[in-house]
Amino acid sequence: MLSLVQRNEDEVLKETRSIIERSCIPPGISSIEMPPFRDPKTFLAQYTKPDSAVKIKFNRGTTTLAFKYGGGVIVAVDSRATGGSYIASQTVKKVIEINPYLLGTMAGGAADCQFWERVLSKHCRIYELRNKERISVAGASKILANMVYSYKDMGLSMGTMIAGWDKRGPGLYYVGDDGTRVTNNIFSVGSGSTYAYGILDSEYKWELSDTEAYELGRRAIYHATHRDAMSGGMVRIYHMKSTGWVKISEEDVTDLHYKYKEAEARQ
Amino acid sequence: MSIMSYNGGSVVAMAGKNCVAIASDKRFGIQYSTVSMEFPKIFEMGPQLYLGLAGLATDVQTVSQRLRFRLNLYELQENRHIKPKTFSSMVSNLLYEKRFGPYFIEPIIAGLDPKTSEPFISVMDLIGQPCISKDFAVIGTANEQLYGMCETLWQPDLEPSDLFETISQALMNAFDRDSYSGWGAVVYVIEKDKVTVRELKTRMD
Amino acid sequence: MSGLIKEPEVGGFSFENCKRNEYLMTKGGFTVPKAIKTGTTIAGVIFKDGVVLGADTRATDGNIVAEKNCHKIHYIAPNIYCCGAGTAADTEYTTRMVASQLELHRLNSGRQVRVVSANRLLRQYLFRYQGHVSAALVLGGVDINGPYLGSIHPHGSSDRLPYVTMGSGSLAAMAVFEDRYKPDMSEEEAKELVADGIRAGIFNDLGSGSNVDLCVITKDRAEMIRPYHVANERGVKQGNYLYKRETTQVLKKFEKKVHYEVMSTNVKEIRPAAETMEIA
Repeated sequence: MLSLVQRNEDEVLKETRSIIERSCIPPGISSIEMPPFRDPKTFLAQYTKPDSAVKIKFNRGTTTLAFKYGGGVIVAVDSRATGGSYIASQTVKKVIEINPYLLGTMAGGAADCQFWERVLSKHCRIYELRNKERISVAGASKILANMVYSYKDMGLSMGTMIAGWDKRGPGLYYVGDDGTRVTNNIFSVGSGSTYAYGILDSEYKWELSDTEAYELGRRAIYHATHRDAMSGGMVRIYHMKSTGWVKISEEDVTDLHYKYKEAEARQ
Repeated sequence: MSIMSYNGGSVVAMAGKNCVAIASDKRFGIQYSTVSMEFPKIFEMGPQLYLGLAGLATDVQTVSQRLRFRLNLYELQENRHIKPKTFSSMVSNLLYEKRFGPYFIEPIIAGLDPKTSEPFISVMDLIGQPCISKDFAVIGTANEQLYGMCETLWQPDLEPSDLFETISQALMNAFDRDSYSGWGAVVYVIEKDKVTVRELKTRMD
Repeated sequence: MSGLIKEPEVGGFSFENCKRNEYLMTKGGFTVPKAIKTGTTIAGVIFKDGVVLGADTRATDGNIVAEKNCHKIHYIAPNIYCCGAGTAADTEYTTRMVASQLELHRLNSGRQVRVVSANRLLRQYLFRYQGHVSAALVLGGVDINGPYLGSIHPHGSSDRLPYVTMGSGSLAAMAVFEDRYKPDMSEEEAKELVADGIRAGIFNDLGSGSNVDLCVITKDRAEMIRPYHVANERGVKQGNYLYKRETTQVLKKFEKKVHYEVMSTNVKEIRPAAETMEIA
């Protein structure tokens, strides 16, 4: 504060401008654009309540998970989109392919996740061009966290995991709509996450083989879709390797259910 | 959130040629969480008379038991099986009695007349507004989807096996678009000499 | 009677769920489910020899058409009928209860019941429930005082007029009546006027739809015409949507044979015709 008072106006303006530039504003927006009313979150909330005359139903409800292990990072997601109790789609792509070395997941508002991860993808590309090397997972996730932080408390809804591979090896970060950014070996996000964690925590170990890891991700998502009304459709699995991501499988959970049941009966 | 969709579930009934069918899903949930996949919503009220209840699970059980109690007294007193139409009035009266403190359920009554074997279907709102229907009746969290399916799939004079396909496909395709219904289904096809109960292979998510 | 489930032995409303429901609505934060409403256009006019009542046949559940051909003209007595708008169950049960009271009254007095009696019973019943029994009625009939037509509002007020409309489509129907009503019309004229009023509701009010039902009451007859006019003919299905048999996969199947239980047996012997009696 003290230094601010002492500096001249030009200097402050210059620095502010550079901060705004560094804070990664979406294209075509010169500064952080504020919604034209006082409290955006409460303003929006009155139209999302079920008894409101004007109803805005966001697509939400999800199970997504990702975990690091010896062979890289596994990302597994379901594919259901719901608007209230209505199932809007069973074939949503909840893994967002940011670039060949970065994956993002989608939970919460579909539009928020998709839009901000596309903006992230742009920044990662610009970084590559400027620095002649790929951005780190830590860096990429921080860009996203900073972007959503500038819109804190304005009603953004996203719970995303950024998975990638950089100089440090496999990377995995959770970025929330409140600006949270944390790293860990295991994450699961969405309404079905508690069910997924149950499977994940009981079976997970670092030394998993690739096929074991795929099966763990698959089972965790399947069990979540089975118990959680808001999750379902199919299980999509991605594997992040040192050479970039590979799509492993896409399976309908109904087929999985009856396959698992049959296997259970045979035992 | 409506109390009617707290536990989820849907029921549908259809009339065919000298037969009727009634079908329901098997989910019992607490909001988004599926607790049981073996929750019956269709109750046998006579050899050819079935009652389907959708809504708040506690009331589904209370109402079905209360009706069973009233029905037993009726049969003891009258020494004969109840007619579906009479039973429908019994349900309606029970519900309207609680006009100002209703049970949070909607019933469907489906059956054949014990003497004439004439098909009968009726549906009510939660305070017992009776509506006898010649074609089909739907209730539950997937009712909008069921209306759409039934309006297109149903046709008059379906044979029992065609009626089974029609009602099963209507129900399954409807609740596949509703997150509160599904997780198994049961279909009763009621004919003059037999009732066929089938459990369907459905999506389990 | 079982001591476990207390069953009411007398008629009337039961309020045993009220406390629980109140708790669910306030503390639980759940919304109150709505009962089926009859969005409705109902109307009636007096003509030279009696009364014509009319109604549409749509019942709605929120934005869903719950029934496409429901009865809205209720029987009260052989010479009295009543159209109902509002909560479907309320109109049904209110008119049914009054009909039963009037039938007892008729048996007691041995006279044809008067429309004013029906009017008073309905008004007093609705007033007692302070508008919570939501029935808006058009009452019509013919008795020794001649034709009677009037409306009764859910709070218990009533008025008597030569032409009335009620329900969500009442404005549309009243517009037609205000334009074309005249005293001492013929029966045919009156029927067409009421039907036009109801049609105005069917086509211009979203809460009303389907068919036109009419009821004509004169000194010596009451005639229900249902439907008087099918205003909305359903289109014929172009395709056949029948699924092939065995499309649906079945996990378990079992059959229950329906046993015909013998409740009572009564053997009637067929005897040969009695011998002719000998005449002494």
